Amino acid sequence: MATGFFTDTTVCIGCKACEVACKQWNELPDDGFSFTGMSYDNTGQLGASTWRHVAFIERPVPLAGQTTGLGDFSWLMMSDVCKHCIKAGCLEACPTGSIIRTEFDSVFVQPDICNGCGYCVSACPFGVIDRRADDGRAWKCTLCYDRQREGMTPACAQACPTESIIFGELDDLKVRARARVDQLHDMGMGEAYLYGADANEQPGTQGLNAFFLLVDEPEVYNLPRKPSAPDNHIGESWRSLAVGALTLLAATAVAVLSSKGSR
Amino acid sequence: MRDDHEVATSAIEGTTYYGLPVIKEPVWTWEVPAYFYIGGAAGAAATMGAVLQVLDGDNSERLVRRCRDIAAVGTLAGSGLLISDLGRPERFLNMLRVFKPSSPLNLGSWILVTASGLSATSAVLSRSRGFGRRLGALAGFGAGAIGLPLSGYTGVLLAGTAVPVWKESRRSLPLLFVASATGAACSLLEMGDFDESELTAVRRLGTVAQLSELALAKAVEKETARVAGAGRPYEGGVVGTLWKASTACTVASLAVDTFTGKSRPGRVAAALVGTVGSIALRYSVWLAGRASARDPRATFDSQKRSDE
Repeated sequence: MATGFFTDTTVCIGCKACEVACKQWNELPDDGFSFTGMSYDNTGQLGASTWRHVAFIERPVPLAGQTTGLGDFSWLMMSDVCKHCIKAGCLEACPTGSIIRTEFDSVFVQPDICNGCGYCVSACPFGVIDRRADDGRAWKCTLCYDRQREGMTPACAQACPTESIIFGELDDLKVRARARVDQLHDMGMGEAYLYGADANEQPGTQGLNAFFLLVDEPEVYNLPRKPSAPDNHIGESWRSLAVGALTLLAATAVAVLSSKGSR
Repeated sequence: MRDDHEVATSAIEGTTYYGLPVIKEPVWTWEVPAYFYIGGAAGAAATMGAVLQVLDGDNSERLVRRCRDIAAVGTLAGSGLLISDLGRPERFLNMLRVFKPSSPLNLGSWILVTASGLSATSAVLSRSRGFGRRLGALAGFGAGAIGLPLSGYTGVLLAGTAVPVWKESRRSLPLLFVASATGAACSLLEMGDFDESELTAVRRLGTVAQLSELALAKAVEKETARVAGAGRPYEGGVVGTLWKASTACTVASLAVDTFTGKSRPGRVAAALVGTVGSIALRYSVWLAGRASARDPRATFDSQKRSDE
């Protein structure tokens, strides 16, 4: 059974209950209580000990159907998380087989296998997974693998007070998400769209098991437009290496043969 | 992606999220570029040793042996460097609990461990007689075969990431690494004292490798330039200076070798400068990746088009 998250950013109120619930349930260490000074976002980004991150975007653009006393202005909030890509860069890159796909179709790092090589960190096109300095291993959202095995909802979705984070079976989530987009379009929010809902929309990842409803360009939310698992383009590099290796072989032979007489 | 929707918002060119990076900076430390150098040189040396053994084994005994020594020391030292870079070094053997060709790092671990074993065997046994010696030659052929991918797979390893400057040089970087590894191996060999014909072979190959290295460095610049901002690290700052210094060293090594390569001191000088250039190349590529990962615009531009 494939499960995942549908994160509807239009109803996110930026309370960060998801961040707190995730930290508590997974017993994640703090990130240093830093103050960014740039917005209400003092978390900054996802990382080895931050598996939910609420982004706060201040735009000099009004939201459709809204008027403010401040002129052209609107807030966007979005709870970001590991996307659990169908084609996951981290999983393809992992040399130890520590990163696996679970029975829930999520991408899971087995902490007893990971040897902290760090290759997954550079392979993730979203910058989700990271290595924890004190621990030496790579960590990211597990989609609450432990809770799911007990039939429970992941901590962030459980804690979300506005159902911005919805957990469920992927097929159901997609139906629900498309209905929500239609509803928003009918309400005059023509800019609403789904990010990563399936392979057609995002061929580089073959779709995301944690997908989003957004109302502005992906880059505004710090998301790449066409994310792609590095595995998609690695064939060209292997072919180049083959050419280089054969050239090395030929050049060495020529150098040796051409110098044979020069004694 | 969403041609059927109206987008009426702040989608301006140059958008970032408060300038924060999109992807994570590579966590690899100084050991990794050092391994790129020593492992690559070891791979090229193993291949050269095997080719020499086949084509001119009787007359090039000392050179073959030196090739095998470089391969053995290089692969063992490289393995040590890679293990010490791990977050959990005691678990390094987990690299070999699966065979996973989709992961360049897994395949590379298999290549390295095979090359280490064969190179060490050939280096040790080439000092024995009779059956042991023949076995050493056989191991040397094996090491030469596996040395081919070892010389440049690390270029594939870097290209197989989401880091813009590495990803966008995915065709030229493996070639550059093979050329630079060959030049590095020739530089190490040139420091030794060999017969005239042996030295001529090494110097000819070294010259071709270094000329290729110069051309391929330009090819890397050109390939990364296809995506706006991807090649920015090579253009200035510390990384750009190191990148240009690497080119300057390679040019200097070529010039010194051409004009004074007949004499031993001239050869050694050229080899030392060439070695510095090859090491500088690996460090500038590594540092370029770290800078590139911090650049959200380069990341966005690199992931704007679909790779499919």
